Amino acid sequence: MGDGDRGGGAFSGDAVVTRRQLVRRVGALLGKRRHEQELNDEILAHLELAERDAMAEGLSSEQARLLARRRFGGIEQMKEHHRDQRSIRVVEIIAKDFRYGLAALIREPGFALVTIGILAIGIGANTAMFSLVDAVLMKPLPFPEPDRIVRVWETPPNATRNPVTTMDFIDWKRLSHSFTALAAERNARAALTGDGEPKRISGKRVSADYFQAFAVQAHIGRTFAVDEDQPGAEPVVVLSHAAWYTHFGGDARILDREIVLDGTAHRVVGVLPAGVFDRDSASFWMPMIFTPEERTRGSHWLRVVGRLNEGVSLAEAREEMRSIDESLTELSPTWKQNWGVLVEPFDERLVGDSLRQSIVVAFGAVALVLLLACANVANLLLAKGANRKKEMAVRAALGATRGRLLGQLVTESVVLCLLGSLAGVALAFVMIRTARPLLSPSLPVTADVTLDLRVLGYGAAVAVAVCLLIGLLPSLSTSFGKLSRALNDASRGSSRSGDGLRRAIVVGEFAVSLVLVCGALLMLKSLSNLQHVETGVRVDNVITLSIDLPLAAYPTPSTATGFFRNVVERVEAAPAVARAALSTHLPFAEVGAGQGMFIPGTDEGINVRYKRVDSSYFAVLGIPVVSGRGIEPSDREDAPRVWVVNEELARRLSLDLGATEPVGQLARVTTPYYVQKGGELVEGTIVGVIRNERVGDLAADDRPVLYVPLAQAPTRDIRLLVESQADPSALVPSVRDALKEIDANLPLGDVQTMHQVKQRSLAGARHPTWIVGAFAAIAAFLAALGMYGVLSYAVAQQRREIGIRVAFGAGRTQILTHVLRSGVSMIFIGLVLGLIGTLQATTVLESLLFQVSALDPFVIVLACASMLLVGLLAGFVPASRAAHVDPMTVLREEG
Amino acid sequence: MADDKTEIPYGTLDLLILKTLETMGPMHGYGVARRIEQVSENLLTLNQGSIYPALIRLTQKGWIRTTPGVSETKRKVKFYSLTRAGKKQLGVEIARWETATAVVARFLETPS
Repeated sequence: MGDGDRGGGAFSGDAVVTRRQLVRRVGALLGKRRHEQELNDEILAHLELAERDAMAEGLSSEQARLLARRRFGGIEQMKEHHRDQRSIRVVEIIAKDFRYGLAALIREPGFALVTIGILAIGIGANTAMFSLVDAVLMKPLPFPEPDRIVRVWETPPNATRNPVTTMDFIDWKRLSHSFTALAAERNARAALTGDGEPKRISGKRVSADYFQAFAVQAHIGRTFAVDEDQPGAEPVVVLSHAAWYTHFGGDARILDREIVLDGTAHRVVGVLPAGVFDRDSASFWMPMIFTPEERTRGSHWLRVVGRLNEGVSLAEAREEMRSIDESLTELSPTWKQNWGVLVEPFDERLVGDSLRQSIVVAFGAVALVLLLACANVANLLLAKGANRKKEMAVRAALGATRGRLLGQLVTESVVLCLLGSLAGVALAFVMIRTARPLLSPSLPVTADVTLDLRVLGYGAAVAVAVCLLIGLLPSLSTSFGKLSRALNDASRGSSRSGDGLRRAIVVGEFAVSLVLVCGALLMLKSLSNLQHVETGVRVDNVITLSIDLPLAAYPTPSTATGFFRNVVERVEAAPAVARAALSTHLPFAEVGAGQGMFIPGTDEGINVRYKRVDSSYFAVLGIPVVSGRGIEPSDREDAPRVWVVNEELARRLSLDLGATEPVGQLARVTTPYYVQKGGELVEGTIVGVIRNERVGDLAADDRPVLYVPLAQAPTRDIRLLVESQADPSALVPSVRDALKEIDANLPLGDVQTMHQVKQRSLAGARHPTWIVGAFAAIAAFLAALGMYGVLSYAVAQQRREIGIRVAFGAGRTQILTHVLRSGVSMIFIGLVLGLIGTLQATTVLESLLFQVSALDPFVIVLACASMLLVGLLAGFVPASRAAHVDPMTVLREEG
Repeated sequence: MADDKTEIPYGTLDLLILKTLETMGPMHGYGVARRIEQVSENLLTLNQGSIYPALIRLTQKGWIRTTPGVSETKRKVKFYSLTRAGKKQLGVEIARWETATAVVARFLETPS
């Protein structure tokens, strides 16, 4: 028989499991049900036979049955025993090794906790970060065949993407053959009235085939029919799954209901499935029926999404659209002659360049943290392995094979890694839960950050890699050393093998940490620059609130302007209010719609940001008038048309159009209609220039902005700004009351302070900074821990040497510096290597930085200094321990 | 031991089963149990059920093999028979048993 049988004697019931048995037992495990059935049959047959024999001996059938049972013994116990015999014992063996491993760890709880903690941080941070990377950059869109979904844009000569005009869209749709569906969309808002408080909900106006573009089917009911976006169709609406629940309690009979949006009854034709567009802010979709006024070639207002026909490549679609665009050139306005068309994958623009960059940087940082964590744990294991050399040597001398010793070490490492990974996944779960609500505003709507199977799989892969890396390497180096030498060395208590490797690891740790710390400091400096950038507006003591006037209640421009006058009057009458102003856009908000501005007598125009404000706007935000005047209350709808420009626009007017003296200059600008899309060219006089205020995000350049009196171009989507004399939050109730007094049916938006508005605009820069900063701090801590470990170990190993030195009269300071010196040399080599790495790595950051050079000398010096300090602090503890070595004790114990 | 019976000596059940199968040829579980009882003339207490775990263990070690069969009561059962490895093992077990009893016997014979 095989070797395995040696252990089991003739009388032993539980022989050691042989390979053959193992195979059978694995087989038994697989055929568990069959085995149970067979066993049951055997038992039944046994009892029947026993009964029969007993009856043959003259017992009654009842007695025979009892006797058979009694002789058989406990059936359930026997079955259990039977199962034990046939199940896999390997599991038991592994469990036993695992228990040994655990026991070994419990003997040194400090070591175990530190190691598991480090691994948990490394693996946890990585897994959490991966969930973000996966959600934003890797996961396919939650639509069937997402590769076929495209966006189509018009492209002006010096920009890449521009919304599309109605007529161009209609022509594209008519002439193109590349698309299964080509749909236009436009964000919309509506007041939902009916039961209780009026609510303002967001939605979209879309072409009837919009849902075909995404291949989305309704959950109940249907999506839009082909003709429902044609003039004269009855008003219908599709609801999001979330809206169905939030606003209608998941009413199963919703399809029989009509809901009132902006005062018009709409029939609900369908509800989308859960999870589709759920993270989109849209709650409803209504067909986009173009009004005659909207059918122009001048107003760029549509976003176009399409689904390519099966088998049509992106290149083919591009080629077709290019030729269609060429054929339409004659129809386009003269200033659009050199515009083009862009067809791009739908997901191209979901993730902005800076978000992508931020995520890549943060993921790089977290990968480095994992590397450091592994290095540290490997370091700890190496030190521990060196300490155990003597134990290993003795065990080897007593006959343990290398394989066995290695097996034990690997099991211990694996136990560590497993526990570390479990803790890491738990940590990742917590991190994802905490970070998700904080991050979601700066992520695209399709990004669903969760700890799903993909992420867990990634976590498991990382854990396996970590196990291999740190489990195997130190084990090999420990047990494959020359055993006789180990015994000799160990007896002298001065084993230094593996020391060089461990020092090299610490050097590497400092190098990597320096890179991270530099990166984090650069981003921090950039963020601080952004925080302190001159915004040109006052943000203290100002609160804002958005108002959306329902068309049904405010059907004409004059009703709206009446409301505006009323609001300002009422709000200013409220206690503690200093001033109130109205504007279409808040500061820091991107003013999206550009309008052409022309000066009579020239052909060239300037694309300006068109912002409508009332007479108090500049005062409330503290924006000074540079020349001429601001907007006055007298600039009413019946007064002469006036414009106010910002300094940037004044500069551009003189630079591009030669209008050196803007005040008094006549200019023509397209003024949007009140109800319909599109607008008419209106001539007015520029009456003043104001200082630039920040438009768009804080890092952006100044843009040419045209300020138009709100009363001369009223609109229904408006922001109210209220300046208070004291704490602005105290104002909120009285402002709300004032608005309710004017119109009780008016749905009110969220209230924000201007500080919040500003901070929100910084979110895109703040999040990556804090993430990388946190990783850098962890990295520095890990490097310090590595330094501490190596020096502690060196001190422990050199106790005898130190003792002798002290005995020969070395002072405490000398010993202290002696130990620290070796630490400092490691730090310096690490920093030099780190600087080289930093030069390479920070260039990646460049595009994320605002007014900071990637090689900012201050940052580099600060990073080096802080790493030096961290290293010295970590080294000081073991160094002072060395300095307090008592020579007598040491020499006595070494004997 | 209410019935004044002897427990099966620890570890000998395997030996008894192997020997039984060698003597009797293929048998089902009940047959093996009955045979052990009969040969021991009911001097051994045997929970008949306890032979099944022993049978599966011996099967897994490759010392006995099973063939499907039908009992006298027309029920599906397994018939157990000795393999060649089992025959060899029986020799080993017998030799061990003899050594062990001889050693014990020597202790008992020798006045201490």
